[in-house]
Amino acid sequence: MLLGMVLGGLTLVIGLVWYYFTPKYWRVGYMPTQPIAGFSHAIHAGKLGMDCRYCHSHIEHSPEANIPSVSTCMGCHAEGHVNDQLYARKANVQGIRDAWMAGVRFDEVKSLMNEGKAEEAEAKLVSYEKDKLALIEGGASLAWRRVHKVPDYVRNFPHHVHINAGVSCYSCHGNIMEQPIVHQVQPLSMSWCLECHANPTPHLVPKEKVTDLFWVRQQLEDRGNQPYSGQANNPLDVASPGGATLLKALEEKPLHILPQNCGACHY
Amino acid sequence: MYEGESSMSSSMNSLDQCHSTVGESPAQKARVAGLAQVGVTGQRYYRGLDDVADTGAFRDWLEREFPEGASRLLESSRRTFLKLMGASVALAGAATLPGCRRPDHKIYSFSRNVPEEIIPGKSLYYATSLYLPGGRVESVLCETHEGRPTKIEGNPLHPGNQGKTSPWAQAAILSLYDPDRLKDPVYTKLDASPRSWADFAAWLQGEDFKKLEASQGAGLAIVVDKRRSPTRSAVKGRLLERFPKAMWVAYDPTETDEVVQGAMIAFGKPVREVLHLEKADVVVSLDRDFLFDDPGMVRNTRGFSARRQVLGVNSAMSRLYVFESGFSVTGAKADHRVALPPSHIPAAAVAIARRVLDQVGAKGAPPLRDALKRAEASLPSAVKIDEAFIDAVAKDLLMDESGASRATKTVLVAGPTQPAVVHALCHAVNAALGNIDNTVTFRPMSQDEGSSGIAGLRALTQALNDGKVSTLVTIGVNPVYDAPADLNFAQAMSKASVRIAADLEETETVRAARWRLPLAHDLESWGDLESLEGVVCAQQPMIAPLYGAKSDIEILALLTGAKLDEADGHELVQATWRDHPARGRQPVETFWKRALNSGILATLDRSPMNSAQVGMNLVDSVSRMSMNAVMGQNVDVVFTVGMVGDGSLNNNAWLQELPDPLTKIVWDNVAVMNKATAARFGLEQELETNKVQHARMCRLTVGDKSVDVPAWVAPGVADNTVLVHVGYGRSSIGSVGEGTGFNVFPIAGVNTGSGKSSRRVAFGATLARGGGSKDVPEWYAISTTQQHGSMEGRAIVREVDLPAWRAFGDKIETNLDAYRQERKLVFAERLGELAHAPANVNAYINPQRGTKDAPTQDGTGPNTTGEHGSAAWGKTNVDSTGKTRAPDFATGPQWGMSIDLTTCTGCSACTIACQAENNIPVVGKIETRKGREMHWIRVDRYYAGEGSGGVDAGSAMFQPVACVHCENAPCETVCPVNATVHGPEGINYMVYNRCIGTRYCANNCPYKVRRFNFFDYGVKKLNGEYIGESTLEAVGADPANVNLIPPRLRQRLDEISKLGMNPNVTVRSRGVMEKCTYCIQRINEARVEVKLKNLPMIPDGFVQTACQQACPADAIVFGDLLDTKNVYPTPDGKQRTGSLVRSLRDHGRSYLLLGFLNTRPRTTYLAGIRNPNPALVSAERKKLWENPFGHGHEGGHEGHDHEGGHGGEGHGSQQHGLLNGSHNGSHRTNQFDPSRAVADSGYRLSLGVLS
Repeated sequence: MLLGMVLGGLTLVIGLVWYYFTPKYWRVGYMPTQPIAGFSHAIHAGKLGMDCRYCHSHIEHSPEANIPSVSTCMGCHAEGHVNDQLYARKANVQGIRDAWMAGVRFDEVKSLMNEGKAEEAEAKLVSYEKDKLALIEGGASLAWRRVHKVPDYVRNFPHHVHINAGVSCYSCHGNIMEQPIVHQVQPLSMSWCLECHANPTPHLVPKEKVTDLFWVRQQLEDRGNQPYSGQANNPLDVASPGGATLLKALEEKPLHILPQNCGACHY
Repeated sequence: MYEGESSMSSSMNSLDQCHSTVGESPAQKARVAGLAQVGVTGQRYYRGLDDVADTGAFRDWLEREFPEGASRLLESSRRTFLKLMGASVALAGAATLPGCRRPDHKIYSFSRNVPEEIIPGKSLYYATSLYLPGGRVESVLCETHEGRPTKIEGNPLHPGNQGKTSPWAQAAILSLYDPDRLKDPVYTKLDASPRSWADFAAWLQGEDFKKLEASQGAGLAIVVDKRRSPTRSAVKGRLLERFPKAMWVAYDPTETDEVVQGAMIAFGKPVREVLHLEKADVVVSLDRDFLFDDPGMVRNTRGFSARRQVLGVNSAMSRLYVFESGFSVTGAKADHRVALPPSHIPAAAVAIARRVLDQVGAKGAPPLRDALKRAEASLPSAVKIDEAFIDAVAKDLLMDESGASRATKTVLVAGPTQPAVVHALCHAVNAALGNIDNTVTFRPMSQDEGSSGIAGLRALTQALNDGKVSTLVTIGVNPVYDAPADLNFAQAMSKASVRIAADLEETETVRAARWRLPLAHDLESWGDLESLEGVVCAQQPMIAPLYGAKSDIEILALLTGAKLDEADGHELVQATWRDHPARGRQPVETFWKRALNSGILATLDRSPMNSAQVGMNLVDSVSRMSMNAVMGQNVDVVFTVGMVGDGSLNNNAWLQELPDPLTKIVWDNVAVMNKATAARFGLEQELETNKVQHARMCRLTVGDKSVDVPAWVAPGVADNTVLVHVGYGRSSIGSVGEGTGFNVFPIAGVNTGSGKSSRRVAFGATLARGGGSKDVPEWYAISTTQQHGSMEGRAIVREVDLPAWRAFGDKIETNLDAYRQERKLVFAERLGELAHAPANVNAYINPQRGTKDAPTQDGTGPNTTGEHGSAAWGKTNVDSTGKTRAPDFATGPQWGMSIDLTTCTGCSACTIACQAENNIPVVGKIETRKGREMHWIRVDRYYAGEGSGGVDAGSAMFQPVACVHCENAPCETVCPVNATVHGPEGINYMVYNRCIGTRYCANNCPYKVRRFNFFDYGVKKLNGEYIGESTLEAVGADPANVNLIPPRLRQRLDEISKLGMNPNVTVRSRGVMEKCTYCIQRINEARVEVKLKNLPMIPDGFVQTACQQACPADAIVFGDLLDTKNVYPTPDGKQRTGSLVRSLRDHGRSYLLLGFLNTRPRTTYLAGIRNPNPALVSAERKKLWENPFGHGHEGGHEGHDHEGGHGGEGHGSQQHGLLNGSHNGSHRTNQFDPSRAVADSGYRLSLGVLS
């Protein structure tokens, strides 16, 4: 009886720990609010169909996926630059414009000072102070909250090598083109990483389709766990004509074997 | 656990002691004394004098990996500590409870100004240059991550350093982020509140400077450092235009006038000597440490090592003779080393010069030869110069062994301790031998460089005392700290009513000033610096000044009356170069961009020398030469520049914790002397029972000024000579430097009336016991890494003479081991234990390969010889069922490293480069004393030879040791959590997040290269809030020496230092083991680059480890061992096939460290080679040339009786050939300690592996 209770309790505890003490439970669904509340990937990447690389411009040549600068945002959202009605309601993009204008105001006052118009500059400063408007050299920075984060003991996740190998953004970030506020879709746990490194082919798409998220989703759903077989020259597709030869060639390039050892990420 | 171990090891030792002193002949005792081993040149290698002394306490201390107390806080404090810790944990828990969610991690976007070149996540390299103490100028590339400088590399386009760096350049990063730097200008006349530069500029327009302008600058004095900078010369010109009567002093505390004066005597003008050692067949150094304590350290090391890369059996090799007072890095590399007090070395110079000029002086002035003869005849009787030795040196300078002339291919150099006449004599000899403009060239000196700083300082002090100076400006110099004591500069300085001082930290001089100005670091400034070779290097800021500091040219420009925005470094430098002739016909913009890109602005003309005119003034000088040789009760004190330079780098913790190359002392300076001298003055070194080495304080007196320094006994130092590093004992600089060591500048350059002593040497000083007062104790605890991780009595370093290499280098011995298996041994392998040990047979199935590693040579591997033959790389990993198993070493890059002991000078640039690259923390003096230093690559120093003095002064070998990445790694098998595992490319991984800190791996590592984070050295320094003063006292920390408090208790949390961390390497936290990773972050980065470029493999040289990249001797080579087919161009325009490391792995000089343990390391060593003059070699040593292996002739092994070698009993017996070492009556190197084999069952067991 007692033994049964202890065993049962133990099983329960182990079961709970097993399930709940995992990144899958703790991390998936993490959805912090962002400084520009109105920013929606669903609109930009989904509805407007903007390419990921328009904003995350360095993913192809840097380990880090950079976030866009304020000037990138202002490329579309500058006042009068595009039709506010069509592209964004004013209130939603005000944060971007504020960040931008802080720098504009600084330059304005500085040029007045340089021209020797100290009084005008002073007057400007007073009015800005009254309206509680900031002046920042180079403009203000936006503090985005990081959603996807690997632990500190994992040295950088190299975006560029994955993108160039044909791993779509979709594989790790999920249906980001449908998320108004970005949240974590995959656990980003070690076993999850290794699953793909052991058998990457289901996640590989042609390089030029890497950021075409709707297409990728369709593909991945259609083919289930099968490798992509639509492209004749996809080197990792054994089924494609010439694929086997290419695969063999790749095997002779040992560098292209996906690392599954500790030293690939932990150092 | 540790207590248990300690009692066990001490009981073993007592047994050991007992047996080694009973029942043996004195001769036997002498032979096996201590841990000393006899190397193949017949010299004994030992790690320090205590080693030879072989005291029981020493042994006890040595044999424990971590000395006493290493794993615990002192008992008295533990309870309080835990209590306090408990409280803090509770608090922390309460504080973090509401935060049961992911910490908010912010990503800040760029805003309006997006830097075009910055790609987040990618590092950028910029060329710049650094001015380092002692006149060193290094052109460097600085790695920056998102605008943060993190690492310094040499500039490959600079002709001098060719991509290499010195330890000081590597450490510049830490100085940049020093939290103790001055933050704001302060005007203490009013209050100590921070002011702006605008305030300072406005003040400069005020009363004080108006008055100075009216008086044309009379009363203004400016003291600056001695950097050679065209822009600063231009600003100086403008300043002196405004204040023509101002006093300008360019001053370097470690300079000596003798060098310039020597050039004046010889050439009649101040010229700077530039050595071209790559062209020299024979180098003779008269007390010049040109490989370390020298402005041309990097360039000289590159040139010298280029002539010592003995890769073929017929490769040429230069020969180095060193006459020196102490044991220097250069002396350790010498083929013949003579220890002489500095006051005796001029006699050697005269003797060599006379002999050389006798032979080639046909054109030379006969009066000079007569003067030399007279000088030689009038030598004081105390000076004993070995005539035969000098004859041989002179002959070697004139002709080689075949009798061919050596004209233009030799060089004679003199060091800073030597008087001007010796420098002039060297120039005369070089001129006579045709070396000038060949192995040695000259550059014109600028006015600042050629002037005598110390004379200027004396004149300034006089003017201050006379009240003639009202305004004193010092920029980047610290005379209050480093002026000779007889000047009493601090007092003189206080007589100036206006005192302006600019420096990085709050130095003694800054503290004495009214205006305290923060000086910009070189990495924050625009500028131009002329390097030794006359190449002007561009200097550009890597980061905007962290604390709003200004550079020297900017401050000087302000003094010229420029407005704040006009005094801009960028403008000033551009103004200099806009119309500079070096620009040629290039447009300004192009010229400027090219200069910033290459780091090189211009190459200045060198100064052609008329060799014939040398010697005209020399006759007079030689005739007036008087030799007051030191003897008896006086000593010569030599002031050397160590790791912290002239003291300006004193607040740099990396340099403080970098062991001195020879003494291996950290965080302190000591007075180094030999045993006889120490005994004469009652200064014997003792080891106290608590295993911490203590040194007796001694008092050095020059004139009527004296300082107290701990005495340290070391071999190889001349009699009656004391060497001591300057730059320690700062009273004001910051939390790291203050209180470390002792300031000896007060006695350097004291005017004793005779006028012979300089800032680098004091002749005829007195030495006595010191200390004993309340402030200075009689005994002083010294922290040394000397004996840590000692490897007992095995052929760790291997070294042969060149003739032996010539005779046997390309011969491979094929013999049969104990199992009658055929095996092949290359030259260096035959020098070690393996020549006698059987091949390794694994008793167990190797889990990695699934087989017992039988020593069969299947011939399929890339290397089937000896130790290397059993290595796994290049072999497919097939288990017994025929399945391929991971890791498969047959494909891909298989990383390996080779370290050349011939070229390694022990300068330790590798250690500090590794520290910077891999975020390695410093631990402080107290922790180092417990054996907790964290360096991933250490440089072991082995003294060789007895060093009886005179021409037989002993020698030393250096051996850098990092993790050797064993294929059969002992650490991996004992880790209970698989935190250290093997990768498919042969790298022994250390997975920090798995490590639970059992330290089993460190215990099982035969190389002792694993380092443990006993505390949070790297992550944070406990900020002292819950550790009160009482705790500090309880752990024995000296409250006066903040820097000596263990980092865990240090009060400062250095936010700013975090900026210097390499973002690609984890910062390890407490309780984690760490070690060399072969710079895996660089490998992975290279792998990604190669993948993106779709290359089939990583080309040789694409990955350089940090140590390799820094090494000025090119002693470290890293690469892919499987790369045998690719063709690479070589610098000389030819081609080579395969990777460099592969060719070195297969090389005849290649051997494995402790290869007989079957650890199969990936790092191999190339045996050291010396090139002694055959005329000066003893018959006994010559015998070794014919048989360097210490046993019978080649092939003599087959007959050896190794049978019965596993019985156990045989090993202890004195009859065993291996142990008593008497093969064929020839010289037999004794690697093992027979006394231990008798007494020590563990030792006996370990021998079972061997035979």
